[in-house]
Amino acid sequence: MVKPSTILLPPTKVDRRAALWWLTDSIGAIPVAGGIALAVTASTVARQVWPLAAGLLVAGGCVRALAIWRAGIAGQAAAAAMRARLREALHAPLLRSRLRRGRLIGEDMHLAVDSIAETGGLIARFLPLRMASGLSPLLIAAAVAPASWVAALIMLVTLVPFILAMALAGGAAARKAQAQHRALTRLSGLFVDRLRSLPMILTYGAEERITRHLGSAAQDAARRTMGVLGIAFASSAILDFFAALSVALVAVYCGFSLLHLLPFPAPEALTLPRAFYALALAPEFYLAMRRLAAAYHDKQQGEAALAAMRDQLDAISPQPAPFAPPRLWQGRDVMLTHADGASIGPLNWAWTSLGLHAVTGPTGAGKSSLLLALIGQGPACGGMLQADDGAFLPGSLNAHIGWAGQQVALLPGSLRANLIPTPDQTMPDDAELLACLNRLGLGPMLARRGGLDLAVDHRGSSLSGGERRRIGLARAILSQRPILLLDEPTADLDAGTAAAVRALLGELARDRLVVVATHDAALIAMAASVCAVAP
Amino acid sequence: MIAPLRQAMMGQRQTIRLGMACAMVASLSAVGLLALSGWFLVGAALAGLAGPVAVAGFNYLLPSAGIRAAAIMRTTSRYGERMLGHRAALYALAKVRAELFAAVAARALTGHDAGRSGTLANRLGKEVDALEEAVIRQVSRPGAWAGALAGLIAALILGWRCGAILLTALIVMRLAGRGMAARLLPEPQRRTAAAHAALQADYADMAGPAADVAIYGLAPAMAAALEPSALAYDDARMDETRAEGMISAVQTMIAAATVALIAVSAQTTPAPFALGMLGAMAALEAWGALVMNDMRGHDLARAQHHLAKLDEDIGIAPLPCLSPAPALTLCGQSFPAGSRVLVCGASGAGKTRLLETLVGLRQDAPQDLAVAGIEPRELGLAALRPIFALAGQDAPMIAGSIADNLLLARPGLDEKALWDALRVACVDDVVRALPDGLHQWLGGDGARLSGGQRRRIVLARALLAGRPWLLLDEPTEGLDTKAEALLGESLAEWLDRTGAGLLLISHRPAMWRLASKIFEIPTGEPTSLPDISHT
Repeated sequence: MVKPSTILLPPTKVDRRAALWWLTDSIGAIPVAGGIALAVTASTVARQVWPLAAGLLVAGGCVRALAIWRAGIAGQAAAAAMRARLREALHAPLLRSRLRRGRLIGEDMHLAVDSIAETGGLIARFLPLRMASGLSPLLIAAAVAPASWVAALIMLVTLVPFILAMALAGGAAARKAQAQHRALTRLSGLFVDRLRSLPMILTYGAEERITRHLGSAAQDAARRTMGVLGIAFASSAILDFFAALSVALVAVYCGFSLLHLLPFPAPEALTLPRAFYALALAPEFYLAMRRLAAAYHDKQQGEAALAAMRDQLDAISPQPAPFAPPRLWQGRDVMLTHADGASIGPLNWAWTSLGLHAVTGPTGAGKSSLLLALIGQGPACGGMLQADDGAFLPGSLNAHIGWAGQQVALLPGSLRANLIPTPDQTMPDDAELLACLNRLGLGPMLARRGGLDLAVDHRGSSLSGGERRRIGLARAILSQRPILLLDEPTADLDAGTAAAVRALLGELARDRLVVVATHDAALIAMAASVCAVAP
Repeated sequence: MIAPLRQAMMGQRQTIRLGMACAMVASLSAVGLLALSGWFLVGAALAGLAGPVAVAGFNYLLPSAGIRAAAIMRTTSRYGERMLGHRAALYALAKVRAELFAAVAARALTGHDAGRSGTLANRLGKEVDALEEAVIRQVSRPGAWAGALAGLIAALILGWRCGAILLTALIVMRLAGRGMAARLLPEPQRRTAAAHAALQADYADMAGPAADVAIYGLAPAMAAALEPSALAYDDARMDETRAEGMISAVQTMIAAATVALIAVSAQTTPAPFALGMLGAMAALEAWGALVMNDMRGHDLARAQHHLAKLDEDIGIAPLPCLSPAPALTLCGQSFPAGSRVLVCGASGAGKTRLLETLVGLRQDAPQDLAVAGIEPRELGLAALRPIFALAGQDAPMIAGSIADNLLLARPGLDEKALWDALRVACVDDVVRALPDGLHQWLGGDGARLSGGQRRRIVLARALLAGRPWLLLDEPTEGLDTKAEALLGESLAEWLDRTGAGLLLISHRPAMWRLASKIFEIPTGEPTSLPDISHT
């Protein structure tokens, strides 16, 4: 039974601090508006308020500057925290399940690095701005109300048709905006794709045709994109309209009120400073929402990235329950089916708990695929797989398997640490480690380069391909696990070392199950059984 | 600005001019809306205070109509600016993409950085996207200039001192924006890019040996080893954000100080004072937005620099005249046109490299090779490509339909020819079963082909090219024995019919009978050659 994946993405939390700093920016608008109102008064009657007006203007400006600066930093800190949570949720599960999900290295890398980076704008800007834009109009209206409650009411009232219009047109606009985002991404993608395929295009002499096609495809995409842009920009236009309208309405109301020409009984006694203060704050009412609209692209990009991550986490199948090492491990008429439909088999084998067994076949026939399938990292298995008398689920024996494949994973650290990667393992002493490495012919190299303290890293830059593979072999042997699955253990070795490795494997097979995928005839001759993989 | 972009923008100059006009109108009406509102308020207040006669004499119709007109103009022209800016950018860059592709292709053909990697293609794609944004910003820039000019006129109403203050402030803001962006941003931007690339490379290294990761539970340790690069990225992004925040904050503070100074130095009556103050404020706001250009300036300059290099003239060497069906010489062995040769060698001996060197895709095969007696290195891709059609192991395909991929082979192919080639490659039934047949879009969300199916479609493309030599690299990988036998027969029949020569790499004995000669890559060690005598 397949359980749904238990790995969840961390929730996208809105950073309150960044939102508060954006609100602080709105608060900073209040002294500025006050300063203007005072300055206008000063120009008419009260000359002595000049210093106060100038002070308010400068103070408000400083508050706003500080708020914008801090909002960016707080948002970025939240984005960094989110990236850390995403790395924690994604990196280890993705690294251990790549083959099971059948993904290429580049695809996973894009998800684990680029997609995580692409959530930055969503977390750092869009979400705090959205929270702030819900509160800042109310804040501005509240700040206007003591001076002119009617002006505050006018601003709030414009919100109603604004919200209605956004609900009616905004949804369609958002959908069109998404379509436009996709079209643009595809257009940019087409260009990158053709550049990537350039060598192949050149071998067919097709560059001129591709250039023409690229030109017309790009023109076509531009035409189609223009078709949707009109609607995609509708929501910004609605926003612009209501922002302008609220300023105009406040100005006209205040003006007529001051002229005593209102077509209705004056609801309040308005003075010039109050009117001016309300007018200066009017543009601020919709400012946060306009900033939010400008960050819409961040939202699209971030949400698309998160959805892609969710898809891959959901694709991770759970590990089967662990199983004790069997006395008999066998397969009958096993068919291995790759994700692309190619199949290998039927394969038959019966491995007892001790002894050396070989899997043979020409290069590329599927020897490695069989070993990978057994540890649950390769193609799907059909047919009958048994461990003792029960059915065997690929991957359920992994804790008992020592593995050495064609590629060897190394971690930054000493060679010693890389030979004993699992913390629960009883630590063999240095003498034992060195003895094993010597038998694999790594002695001279180690003697030259600092022995077990030799620094290695994931790039394996200090080691040759052959050395890396023998370190992998040593790790499998030193793991003390009762089953060894070894892919081409004697490949790329000179005749003397290969003979030594064969002798070592023969010894190991006395008290462990050793399965080798190989086309080394001498090694096959030593095997108790041979499972042939036909091309 | 790079030449192709300049030319493409010339083609869009009508749109660009209109867009710039819209931007100017939008900015002018934004300044006008506030300035007019302020003037109206003060005028109304003074008239209101002076009594009914003054009220009756106050022309309120004109300013209130002006306010409404400005509000509507601001909305519509802002919408026009967005639409026209995007239209100009989309159409101009559509042309630029095609021309850049042609330039890159021409350079690759003459041996300048042939075989672009995915990373470079991605970088080029991003740089063109950056140009697209730059065009949009360029269209909106005159808005800021118009706004500033209107603000200056408004400020001059308050006296020449206020005009001088505003003019100085505008200049100082630009100098500060540019200077700070050039000093503060390039370093963190460079660090961000470097940390991002390092994280990508580290992740790719770690994701490679997936079996080791699964067996030894290395994923958590690997995730931990990735953290330093990830934290370096977070760090660099934070420094970038700090710098950007500081640049914006300084702009805001200069603007605030300017408004305060203007307020203090204004010497005029209240109504023009209100007009001048609010006009100057609106102008400063539009002006501050220009700093976005400065922040992107460094990236944009680098993109332009890279793209300009692509556009440099390169001399085109005349093509050597070769016989239409030349003989090949591989390590001294000569194969006349029409020979069918099996290329042998241990894995890692460089069989694929040899084929790719012959085709001119690379130059690093150490063997002694000649086409019509001349080294392929000397001939170059342009001279070699009429001779060879390569169906490679990696089966490169462009994002597009199956027909798009097949039509790359040669100009002037009709649908019947495509189907014939698909039939020879034994993949016609697969294509027929796709929902859109030949026109099925591949990649992305379209139907996905298996590795074996892709290889056969790529084989069909190589057949369609009609070159005198067909180069096949493991063409039947992923096929079962029956399908492989069918493909072998059908290829043999095609070779008989066309008289084309064949170089074949295959480890599958069923394919060996296509060849009548063997070429073995010399490695210095004796190996047993496959037996192909049973044909």
